[in-house]
Amino acid sequence: MGEYLVFHDVAWHATYAIYFFVIGIVAGLSFLSYASWHLPALRPLREKSAYVSFALLVVGGLLLIADLSQPMRFLNMLNPAYLNFSSPLAWGALNLVAYGIASVLYLLMMLWKKDEKNGKMLALVTALLALGLPIYTGFDLTVHQHRPVWNTPVIPLLFVALAFSTGSAVGALMSANNAEAQQVLRQFMLWSAGAVVVILIAIMGTTSYGGSAEELTFMLMTSGTMGLLFVGVGFLAGSLAPVVMLFAPTGKSISVILVSALLILLGSAAVRYVILMAPQQVQTLF
Amino acid sequence: MSEELRVSSIETRGVPGKRRYAMVIDTRRCIGCMACQVACKAEYDTPLGVNRTWVPYKVTGKYPNVKKHFLPRLCNHCDDPPCVRNCPVEATFKVDDGGFVLQRYERCIGCRSCMAACPYNARFMLPSHRTYTPITNVVDKCTFCFHRVTQNLVPACVQTCVGRARVFGDLNDPNSEVSYLVAHNPTQVLRPEQGTKPHVFYIGADRNHTEYGRDVYRRIEVMESERAAWKKHFDL
Repeated sequence: MGEYLVFHDVAWHATYAIYFFVIGIVAGLSFLSYASWHLPALRPLREKSAYVSFALLVVGGLLLIADLSQPMRFLNMLNPAYLNFSSPLAWGALNLVAYGIASVLYLLMMLWKKDEKNGKMLALVTALLALGLPIYTGFDLTVHQHRPVWNTPVIPLLFVALAFSTGSAVGALMSANNAEAQQVLRQFMLWSAGAVVVILIAIMGTTSYGGSAEELTFMLMTSGTMGLLFVGVGFLAGSLAPVVMLFAPTGKSISVILVSALLILLGSAAVRYVILMAPQQVQTLF
Repeated sequence: MSEELRVSSIETRGVPGKRRYAMVIDTRRCIGCMACQVACKAEYDTPLGVNRTWVPYKVTGKYPNVKKHFLPRLCNHCDDPPCVRNCPVEATFKVDDGGFVLQRYERCIGCRSCMAACPYNARFMLPSHRTYTPITNVVDKCTFCFHRVTQNLVPACVQTCVGRARVFGDLNDPNSEVSYLVAHNPTQVLRPEQGTKPHVFYIGADRNHTEYGRDVYRRIEVMESERAAWKKHFDL
């Protein structure tokens, strides 16, 4: 029988999933730029990664601001008199600003001054601040204790793994003609996508054993349109298939690496969308 | 030997010298007339499609032995509110004396993290166009009628309830009606497992009425036209 004829909107819409996707790539590319100081094979990616990562940071920032219902009040987030440090969003805003400043300094030091020593140090600082981006976006979800799937401590880890895999995938697409870099990026993608597979299995396993909200969320995530997106695109095609393809004897061929990179990007977008939206559905009728 | 209940610094229930307002809702008395919802709408000019208080229902049993259960809902003015913890700019806050959880409209950035944090769906986004007030595009919620209570009036929904299903008062006052009702009746709160310490107490609401409905997964066809109209209204 019909229950509860009052509907509620979900709190966060798909723009947030796009933001998570973009900011994951930003972080992943910063890791690559830092890795290029230690792995000569990645040297050609150093500047490119830093550029693309900064450009995507601007896109991500604009997405985040546009998603606010009071866009101009994003400045409130930077007002020390207003900041509430028990909110992960406040820490996230500080992290984003610090990362933006570090990225600009890194680009300036690397490109204009060609300062190798400070460049390397700034690459490390930028990469560490970049690590905070997927972690804070993960905490954005994890702190909501009543939401199934969100409220698992592995969500920040999942977002870090997704940042590694998507950053490496974009790196692989950017260095399509560089066989040496491709082999390093293949390793990165293989292990990070493998970590994503393990974490997704852990999350779904735990969710299926939960209470009624968890049970309903599990059903939503594994059946219907969301099931196709999450299990089909996100897990099987976008996480498991790239791991199998990269691990197979043919996994070192450039075409396999590039196809895997595209699948990883597609899967990561699907996983983020479903993880954001599905746990909000059970509340819409409560 | 007695042991004092340990409370966090934000909690005000049982703190001497402070008031802790609460509402008791006797679901046995609720007839589903929705007068509370209408009174609330009139008090605040709450726009179409969103509500500070609402009265959902569940139908149990099998025809002809069916029963309609009403569960009036509103912000629970939690003693440990997750929305306050989660707001990045302290736009939502708890009033120390009284325990009201309120919203600073001029500070809210509209990130909706408080909406995501609330286990009770008590918060909503105001639309961009309203007739009588410039307060738009920010998150809103029930205030326990702070403006009325501070003038020694009860909230509009309590004032209008024909069955006296809603009772409002200070839980820290042992002589108040809410203290009496909570002390002398088995009461329930929504989502006690979340540790939010809600201050809306229900008499006669069991888990059949307070749990998530199966309709989230199996959408009933007859409701789809209502849902479609709602989505169209909000341009979703």
